[in-house]
Amino acid sequence: MTLMNRRTDEAAADPSTAALRAIVPATGRSWRDRLTPLIPLVVLIALVLVITIKQPNFLSLYSMRGLLESVAPLLLLALGQMFVILTGGIDLAFAAVASFGTVLLALWIPDMGPGGIVLALLVTSLIGFVNGFVVAKAQVPSFIVTLGALGLYSGIGLWISGASTIRLSEGYDVVGWLADLRIAQLPASGLLAIVIAVVIAVLMGTLRRGRALHALGLAEPAVLMSGISTVRLRILAFTLSGLFSGLAAVMLVALQRSGGPSLADSMQLPAIAAVVIGGTAITGGVGGAMKTLVGALIIVVLRVGLSAVGVDPAWEQVFYGAVIVAAVALTIDRSRLRSIK
Amino acid sequence: MTAVLEVKDLTKRFRGVVALDGVSFEVRPHEVVGLIGENGAGKSTLLKVLTGIYQPDAGVVLRNGEPVTFRNSSDAARAGIGMVHQEQSLVTSVSVAENILLGAEGDAVRFGFYNWPKLNAVAQRQLDKIASAISPTTIVEKLSFAERQLVELAKAMYVEEGAQVEPVIILDEPTSVLEGAELETLFAQIDRLRQIASVIFVSHRLEEVLRVSDRVYVLKDGRSVGETDAASADIDLLHRLMVGRESSAQFYHEDEQLPVDEAPVKLQVKNLTRAGQFEDVSFDVRAGEVVGIAGVIGSGREELSRVLFGAEPSTSGSIVVDGKPVKFASPVDAVSSGFGYIPAERRIEGIADGLSVAENIFLVAPQTAAWGPFRNPKKALEIAGAWIKRLRIRTPDERTNVGNLSGGNQQKVVLAKWLNSPELEVLILDHPTRGLDVGAKEDVYIFVREQCAKGMAVVLLADSLEETIALSHTILVMRDGRIERRFDAPAGSKPKPVDLVERMV
Amino acid sequence: MTHPPTVDERRLSPRVRRLIADAGPLVALIVLIVVFAVANPVFVSPGNIGILLSQAAVPLVIATGLTFVILLGGIDLSIEGVVATSSLVFALTVANDRNDLALGLFGALLAVLAGSVFGLANGLANVKLGIPSFMATLGLGAVGIGIATVLFAGRSPRVLDSGMRMLGQGSTLGIANIFLIAVLVLVIGWFVQRFTRLGRYGYVIGGDEAVARLSGVRVGRYKIGAFVLGGTASGIAGVLLGSQLGVGMPTIGSGTMFTAITAVVLGGTLLTGGRGGVLRSFVGVLIIVVLANGLILIGVNPYAQVAVQGLVIIAAVVATGWRLRTRVRIIK
Repeated sequence: MTLMNRRTDEAAADPSTAALRAIVPATGRSWRDRLTPLIPLVVLIALVLVITIKQPNFLSLYSMRGLLESVAPLLLLALGQMFVILTGGIDLAFAAVASFGTVLLALWIPDMGPGGIVLALLVTSLIGFVNGFVVAKAQVPSFIVTLGALGLYSGIGLWISGASTIRLSEGYDVVGWLADLRIAQLPASGLLAIVIAVVIAVLMGTLRRGRALHALGLAEPAVLMSGISTVRLRILAFTLSGLFSGLAAVMLVALQRSGGPSLADSMQLPAIAAVVIGGTAITGGVGGAMKTLVGALIIVVLRVGLSAVGVDPAWEQVFYGAVIVAAVALTIDRSRLRSIK
Repeated sequence: MTAVLEVKDLTKRFRGVVALDGVSFEVRPHEVVGLIGENGAGKSTLLKVLTGIYQPDAGVVLRNGEPVTFRNSSDAARAGIGMVHQEQSLVTSVSVAENILLGAEGDAVRFGFYNWPKLNAVAQRQLDKIASAISPTTIVEKLSFAERQLVELAKAMYVEEGAQVEPVIILDEPTSVLEGAELETLFAQIDRLRQIASVIFVSHRLEEVLRVSDRVYVLKDGRSVGETDAASADIDLLHRLMVGRESSAQFYHEDEQLPVDEAPVKLQVKNLTRAGQFEDVSFDVRAGEVVGIAGVIGSGREELSRVLFGAEPSTSGSIVVDGKPVKFASPVDAVSSGFGYIPAERRIEGIADGLSVAENIFLVAPQTAAWGPFRNPKKALEIAGAWIKRLRIRTPDERTNVGNLSGGNQQKVVLAKWLNSPELEVLILDHPTRGLDVGAKEDVYIFVREQCAKGMAVVLLADSLEETIALSHTILVMRDGRIERRFDAPAGSKPKPVDLVERMV
Repeated sequence: MTHPPTVDERRLSPRVRRLIADAGPLVALIVLIVVFAVANPVFVSPGNIGILLSQAAVPLVIATGLTFVILLGGIDLSIEGVVATSSLVFALTVANDRNDLALGLFGALLAVLAGSVFGLANGLANVKLGIPSFMATLGLGAVGIGIATVLFAGRSPRVLDSGMRMLGQGSTLGIANIFLIAVLVLVIGWFVQRFTRLGRYGYVIGGDEAVARLSGVRVGRYKIGAFVLGGTASGIAGVLLGSQLGVGMPTIGSGTMFTAITAVVLGGTLLTGGRGGVLRSFVGVLIIVVLANGLILIGVNPYAQVAVQGLVIIAAVVATGWRLRTRVRIIK
């Protein structure tokens, strides 16, 4: 054996250096790894405390009801978006697809009843499927495909609705229970959305392939080279996004008693903000349904809180935009971005 | 006479692995110096140090007798060192002139505004130096590959203007994609260069190196192991210098190599072709056999291994597993046919950085620790723990992020990922020991022997010739996309590295 | 692996593809004009051509600025927010019915400057904070809409400065001022693209950022510069719209971003960066405007056009991305 071999052999045989490298994570990582995931929850609790001090009736049943009702569609949209963001992509069309979904529901429920809901959910899922298919098969950036889809489905929505709100009176009962039902005096809509988030979290935590979307977002080539179809996973994420846009549409139609071609459009930013502020990284691979739940609650509590402390609602948009930029800047893993475009 | 460029005891390490180990050489005025060596001998690291992309850990670089330090590529350019990159570094969407002057436009751009006539004139001057008829205003994407190489050469010559000294031009594998007349043009070009510059010519095609160089340095294991006048050298001598030491049968556990003549054929490759990369490749792999594929960069062996795993499509030919033809549209199909792949790009294609050691181990076969569609955490912990023990993976626990492990331990996690799959029958090893320290290398060798004893069919693209020879039952030498020669390599009567090198270059 | 992509391109006859990419949009434009002229002669009447030109003005201004961002492989989704803020800054700083300011042209400059500041913020967020441009500009676009909403305060400020209103409403030698201004912006854009480092390095960075870095190009500052150009163009668009409509409002830019992106893509600038230019975007804008105008003349639902623009974006990105597909590639 040559000298060089022996020399490296000695270095390798020294267990202290090798073990050290393994045990001590890269600089700065341990702090972030341990504390960062808790920040959103701390922020949420702090927000609730501050607002309660200013407005003691914030924790009343009445305001809880309002909170839960407004969190329902937002949380559903955010959950759908989360699947796509976990893969490292983004679905800019999701709110427009939800709006489109409300139009479909308002048009179909009077004639078809529950069948209309099923059909509308199928259509929004199919839209997500097609988006995912184009992104995965053509290998083009998701933001631009879904930007195109945003225009496409807004346009169709405006077109078939005549650019106006469609009131739903006949057959409203099919969805109306979502708005009216109370469980332990709390609105079923919000509770249902939260239950869905918990179920997703449990499934992702226990299914054999529950972390596959995370893996895709973290290491796409390694996942593909392990024999897992990245195309199918990506399509799955977008299809789920479409499905959840549809579910959000059902919730909105129930709460608003109508459908409209831009009904959910204003939720695009808050929903994306909910995902990223909860701690799901825009680079993909890190995040989950409970984080998204916390993020959605932060957004809703803040909305209530801002008006409680007397901030003009006009500032809301400024706030969403700033939150998105700040949250992304904090959660982004720069080592994963080879070239930022 | 002072050397225009001299390198003394240059050393560079990456994560504890030595890439350059006290390399020394010099380039004299108007001389063409050939630089040869196997893959991994340290050629590319040396070039990156000379062009300021890497900083050496020890040693000095002297330019015309003066010590110089290159903190970045501009420093190297200012010292008059220009490089023609192996993978072309031109921006194809802008003009020839813009490429030649990129980042160093000087007077041709004032206050951010372009003086096109001036820019084109400076570029024309560089093109004139190499007697090229290419117009500086042409958009690069309209040029052929050989023409683009001339533009690169002109760009390399441009360092002369800023440095005000005769330049040293490095040509990194300039001939690897050229043929026939294009090659002759390049040689004529190098002869012309000799008049106005000094040249370092890096190549693995030894005939060409001998033809154009005045002197040749041989690199091995990060050191210059030989220096010879091209006039007095022949290819045999270079081969011997490149190969150097004899391999150690013990290190590679050669005594554990079992004969496979009676074993059934597991994998048959028939006339496999991928246009532009390799053609008409046929071979068999028996259960328990290691088929080593040797070849230089550009021989097509990397592409072949990726086609075998479905990561790239084939143009024609077939792959037969257990007598049944298979079609791999993607690695997904390959894995379901019992294939596994240890990639050379371990950090990108091997480990999933960000997932834990255990999660990586169960990427391929999650069903091994499951209740129906659900995970069985207890069993997963057991299995992962068993792998960590068996492969001696140094990690605090199963939950550690695999990205935080050392290279060798990451490689073992990748191995565990495949071995954990009960369906695995064919394993493709693409540089399995790249960047590993000696201890980890030996663990990999032991592992290969063990798997063979169990009947695994292995296709090996090794890091070095010794490794190929020692581990393989059969060796295929590829050259320019074809199988050049097949060697039997039974334990005890292995072919010599020199025999292989002869067929490789 | 080491082979250049040219090997594959050769097989697909690059000459033909380049020809399609170069001349295709122009041919499409001419065909469209001919078809609409035959379908409804009103289309080529002087009156309608005048309408066409003034309709083209605002998209042209925005598309010119956006081209620089897209050339780098980035995107600017903040356009509508920036246009909104700019229109309100304009309406509130020239003579108006809300306050006593009457800064005239200086007010218009302030509004444009507001756009530049947004562009700078976009660039800094992208380059310094490392946020992908679609995300950074989406967020800052919302900030723009928000600031506009705050300034708007529930009621549109009306522009009373007649000189400033002439910018968007008047005409010179029979051609709408707004179009003349847009052409001036285009010419400046072309000059920047052709004769300045900011423009040339845009191609270099968009074409191959790694090579640019290796050559010592300070990539970050040129990227920021491109975003500033984009923001400035949106600022100008805000002034033009404010002047044309005589008010400032948060929704004034609705639809402009979509039209501009579609126009840039249709003109032949690649969303992956490195190839294209402002003159191409001009052709793209004309195609969009002719299509919109012509379809209305022959009675197609205007909302269908939004849908068609969406489809065009998807089709264009798929068409340009298709041949770059490989088996193992990271996409996001």
